[in-house]
Amino acid sequence: MTLTGNPVSPGVAVGPLYVYRPKTMAITEAILRPEAVEAELARLHDVKAAAAREIRGIARSLQAQDPRNAKIFDAHEDILNDRILMEEVTRAIRDEGRAGDWAIQMAFDRFAAMLNRVDNPVIRERAADLQDVCARLLRLWHGVEEKGLAHLHQPVILAARDLLPSDTAALDRGKVLAILTEMGGAASHTAILARGYRIPAVLGIADLLAQVQHGDLAAVDAQTGTILLSPTDQELQALRAREASDRAEAERTRAFLPIKPLTADGRMVELGLNIGTGSDDELAYREYADFVGLFRTEFLYMSAPALPEEERQYSAYRNVLSAFGEKPVTLRTLDIGGDKAPKCLPLPREDNPFLGSRALRLCFARPDLFRTQLRAALRASVYGNLWLMLPMVSSLDDIRKARAIIASVHRELTEEGIAVSERYKVGAMIETPSMALIPDLMVDEVDFASIGTNDLCQYLMAADRLNPAVAEYYQLYHPALFRAVECSANAFAAAGKPLSICGELGGDPLAAAVFVGMGIRKLSMGPASLAAVKQMLSRLTTAQARALAQTVTGLSSAGEIEAYLKSKLI
Amino acid sequence: MYSQRITIQNEAGLHARPASDFTRAAMKFQSDIKIGPADGAARVSAKSILMILGMGMDKGTEVEIIAEGEDEKEAVEHLVALIQSGFGE
Repeated sequence: MTLTGNPVSPGVAVGPLYVYRPKTMAITEAILRPEAVEAELARLHDVKAAAAREIRGIARSLQAQDPRNAKIFDAHEDILNDRILMEEVTRAIRDEGRAGDWAIQMAFDRFAAMLNRVDNPVIRERAADLQDVCARLLRLWHGVEEKGLAHLHQPVILAARDLLPSDTAALDRGKVLAILTEMGGAASHTAILARGYRIPAVLGIADLLAQVQHGDLAAVDAQTGTILLSPTDQELQALRAREASDRAEAERTRAFLPIKPLTADGRMVELGLNIGTGSDDELAYREYADFVGLFRTEFLYMSAPALPEEERQYSAYRNVLSAFGEKPVTLRTLDIGGDKAPKCLPLPREDNPFLGSRALRLCFARPDLFRTQLRAALRASVYGNLWLMLPMVSSLDDIRKARAIIASVHRELTEEGIAVSERYKVGAMIETPSMALIPDLMVDEVDFASIGTNDLCQYLMAADRLNPAVAEYYQLYHPALFRAVECSANAFAAAGKPLSICGELGGDPLAAAVFVGMGIRKLSMGPASLAAVKQMLSRLTTAQARALAQTVTGLSSAGEIEAYLKSKLI
Repeated sequence: MYSQRITIQNEAGLHARPASDFTRAAMKFQSDIKIGPADGAARVSAKSILMILGMGMDKGTEVEIIAEGEDEKEAVEHLVALIQSGFGE
């Protein structure tokens, strides 16, 4: 039988199920005799003190190995000390004569309901903390021992309705192969914990507990979010093979991610990050990269209820710029179009949105959008090393017009007395064929450039990369692409200006080897590709890379190029 | 009774860790302390982290802190200074 859920932490695992059912406390829904109230209040006081001791103990023991998890228990201590919450419980006991556990449950439920009404999702998460503290108080009220997941006798796959911070505080990490729950989403405590501990996890599995038995064998595929119960030998074999290759990949990452990106003969190639939101997860890679080759700014618009104001943008840009310090952050100005218009910016329907008023063209048509973004970026420039990058440039006119607007925004800010860095750079993407054919003319108009191989391939091949009907015509290894890169590399090298690759091919080790052979010394990619590219570089001398490039530019089809590279490099 | 107004300056507003620092500081004082947006009527106990989180006071909100009790002046001044320090962010 197969179950499905939401995969929140990647990996594959096979093992026996451990069904975790913490005891739910039966609440005493009774009214006390007046003489019993004092004793009940005293008991509340004792239980609260015991809870505080337990929570402080957990926080202390977690402090050493898992400080982020430990912070959650500081928040639990705050909740326990919340005056109004405790007054509410006390009042229910003293004035309404409710039994203590009933009073606790009611007060906590009321406050959880209040938090659930707040707009901010981070605050709504606190309702889970309330539940956790409430459960602890009720357990202590009824004198039940804390039965945790601290002592598992063998490696197991954990299955539960939900896991609260208290359940996982002392989790025997080494013995948990995977985590399955009925509740919880990608931002829940369980998901964050699983990702942090690198344990595969699938959450939101409807009716999980009704369908599994303690001890049953299960195979979890947390790439696809499927769980096979009592898998066949064949299914097991396939999954174990995946598990082995995942492990090998993880090994490689551990070995190569932290090294300097040097070729076998000691030449440095700068590797950059492509980031989409500047989240903590993305920023965590900053010590493994030399720069940010692409900071996409669309996230500020995509799910926003209204156009992002200057302050909001400034805040986001400042956050990323200061995180990278001296390392350049290449901020790409707004790059959206009619194909995927955000809610806050309805755009007219076009017959050919990829050839339409998008990206920089849209910014020219909507100077309010463009100037707001530029103001935010230039204000943030004082916090780091800003490289502004213009997308969808199709002529030098575009570059000149944009630079004039940037200069005007800079002047505007200076007149307002707002500081702007003296050293930010302005560059453009090479993604239209028109630019790819005149890199020698383009180089005089920019401080730097970056080749967006995805869109460049699309426009060169005249094939919509999102249309499955023409997928075979969108060929990333087409000789035209490699020639375009070579042309640009030569022009920019001659002028002594930086050129990078920020499209998908930059993170493809096979293509990267060729680009390095063409003289490209900056490649930017998603964090997951860094280790593989570093590994490739370490095995290649610049002479070998040059030979590869020379051969590739003489081959006549994508198929030949792919076969050749695989034969030489894998 | 003693009160003062101050604008919240740190990026995250009076949420998460700042709220925690704030209530822990408030609890050191004996007085009854309340906080709320200056341009509104709602005032909640500064010693209740849940009520403060429920209010959602963002960066840029001007708030009023009111204390009533023996150490009311100290309490308000201490909490105002705490908000002014930006909670070390």
